[in-house]
Amino acid sequence: MPFETRGPAGGPKIELPDFSRLTKNLGSLRWIVVVVVIVLVLMTSFYTVEPEEVAVVLRLGKLVREESPGLHFKLPFNIERQIKVPIQRQLKAEFGFRTVRAAVDSEFTTRGLGVESSMLTGDLNAAVVEWVVQYRIAEAEKYLFRVREVEDTFRDMSEASMRAVVGDRTVNEVITVGRQEIEDQVKIVLQDLCDEYQTGIRVDRVVLQSVNPPDPVKASFNEVNQAEQEKERLINEAQAQANQIIPRARGEAQRTVQEAEGYALDRVNRAEGDANRFRAFFEEYRKAPEVTRQRLYLETLGEVLPKAGRKLVIDDSIDGLLPLLNLDGAGLSAALQGEDR
Amino acid sequence: MKRGILIGIVLGALLLSQALYVVNEWEQVILTQFGRPIGDPVDTPGLKFRIPFIQDVHRFDRRFLEWSGEPEELPTSDKVFIWVDVYARWRISDPLRFLENLRGEEDRAQTVLDDILDGETRNAVAKHRLLEVIRSTNREAAIDPTQTDIQVSLEAIELGRGAISREILLEAQGKTSELGIEILDVQFRRINYGESVRPDVYNRMISERRRIADRFRSEGQGEQANILGEMDRDLKLIQSEAYREAQTIIGDADAEATGIFADAYDQSADSRSFYEFLKTMETFRATVAKDTTLILSTEGDFYRFLKGSTP
Repeated sequence: MPFETRGPAGGPKIELPDFSRLTKNLGSLRWIVVVVVIVLVLMTSFYTVEPEEVAVVLRLGKLVREESPGLHFKLPFNIERQIKVPIQRQLKAEFGFRTVRAAVDSEFTTRGLGVESSMLTGDLNAAVVEWVVQYRIAEAEKYLFRVREVEDTFRDMSEASMRAVVGDRTVNEVITVGRQEIEDQVKIVLQDLCDEYQTGIRVDRVVLQSVNPPDPVKASFNEVNQAEQEKERLINEAQAQANQIIPRARGEAQRTVQEAEGYALDRVNRAEGDANRFRAFFEEYRKAPEVTRQRLYLETLGEVLPKAGRKLVIDDSIDGLLPLLNLDGAGLSAALQGEDR
Repeated sequence: MKRGILIGIVLGALLLSQALYVVNEWEQVILTQFGRPIGDPVDTPGLKFRIPFIQDVHRFDRRFLEWSGEPEELPTSDKVFIWVDVYARWRISDPLRFLENLRGEEDRAQTVLDDILDGETRNAVAKHRLLEVIRSTNREAAIDPTQTDIQVSLEAIELGRGAISREILLEAQGKTSELGIEILDVQFRRINYGESVRPDVYNRMISERRRIADRFRSEGQGEQANILGEMDRDLKLIQSEAYREAQTIIGDADAEATGIFADAYDQSADSRSFYEFLKTMETFRATVAKDTTLILSTEGDFYRFLKGSTP
């Protein structure tokens, strides 16, 4: 509907521009502005803090509070702004190697990282040490506002700590026996440095990864391992041999003794048997010695004579026969042949 | 009228935006008026006020700042060339002086630190033996139970890494304090053998390992001989003890049997002669075989009976 205004005295009609539409438009524009402002206020007033984070809130540059996880309100338009710090998350720094792809079979690279991992031991040998530091941000305020480039500082401190600790140990300790002790010691030294610099970092664990002698020396270190194993092998072989031989010898010794005991029993029993038999025999013999003796003699001859191959009966009255009997085979057979004819 | 208010608001806002400034938690600020510093440094965070258009705001970091040296190959006092890499932390301790001396530019500070710290590092390394830069304490090497004879003892030091880095720190601190910057800490980040030294070091390491390997081998051979020797001894002991025991038992049995025979045969002259006769017969029976030639005399018992019985 056009808006009509009449002159006070019924004067001529004055056609006015269509203000109503303009004011209407102005009204809706105002509303749009209000809505936009409200949306902006809302958008810049609320924020969420994830479960593992904490939010540090600055009001015009000044730290005013820390907020724990959840939905939070702040003053809009960057009057207050929040910096989120993942304080619950365990962070990891790698030295001497980098994980290229983390998976079940992770890939690593050590390329170009030799400067990070090569160091000197306390006996002035060289070693290549790779390690990992696991840490958390314990105090968000310190972490954010005390040190610029905290991560770089932390890496520098880790390298310095590891080298200080390795520098006080023999290459042997570093590579073999002292690993656990080195991890513990580096953790202490590194934590001290972190506290001194007020990094707000808490070191959870220092873990040595591969620790090696430098490449040109590796072969000789392996040689030591081989020699150590060879030593073990020689000892084991000797012990195996001893274990094989000694028990058998013990058994054989027992057998020797038992055989002797058997012999002894046999000997004594037989002796007693023979003795008893003789006694009984002798008892009877004494009753008729001559007859018994002759009987035994003749019985024996009767047994023996058939067994003998040749018999010569010689009358003592014939002299000179014995010299003829050249008692080697030839002479004897010659004599006997003559006799047979 | 309305327009006047609008202009007023805009001008006011402009003025305010020039008069107010924010100092962050990690900053410190110096105000200058036509280039001349005004008042104390502002080192508390929050919303601050200045005279607009006249005063300028210079912001400086309040945190610990990094300095990282370039690795350098340096000789120690015992003429070993090593790569030395040092890092330091510093801060702007006096922003006013920092502004005056270094124009408030961090790059300039880095250059100054390069000169001072590199120089002091070079001096310190050249003054000390390699070992002093490497070791921190006079800790004794842990005893390796598997290598009791092959212990490498650690050589003692007088100062150590920590003391030398403190030496560098103190020297450098003296030279930077008037510049408004303070060095808080200097550390050896990396120390490594120079290329010219490495072959010698590697050869030494190799010969050392060879020695240890030889030692292991000869220990193994020795231990083997020992075990086998012990085995031989045990074997001889076992066998000879068994022999001794067996012979004793046999001897005892023989003695006992002899006693038993003697008791039976040695009763009287008769028993002795009967035994003799029996034994002779037994022997006779045992000794005559198929190829035996018996020569019997007619005067012997056998034929004597025959002759005697001739009718």
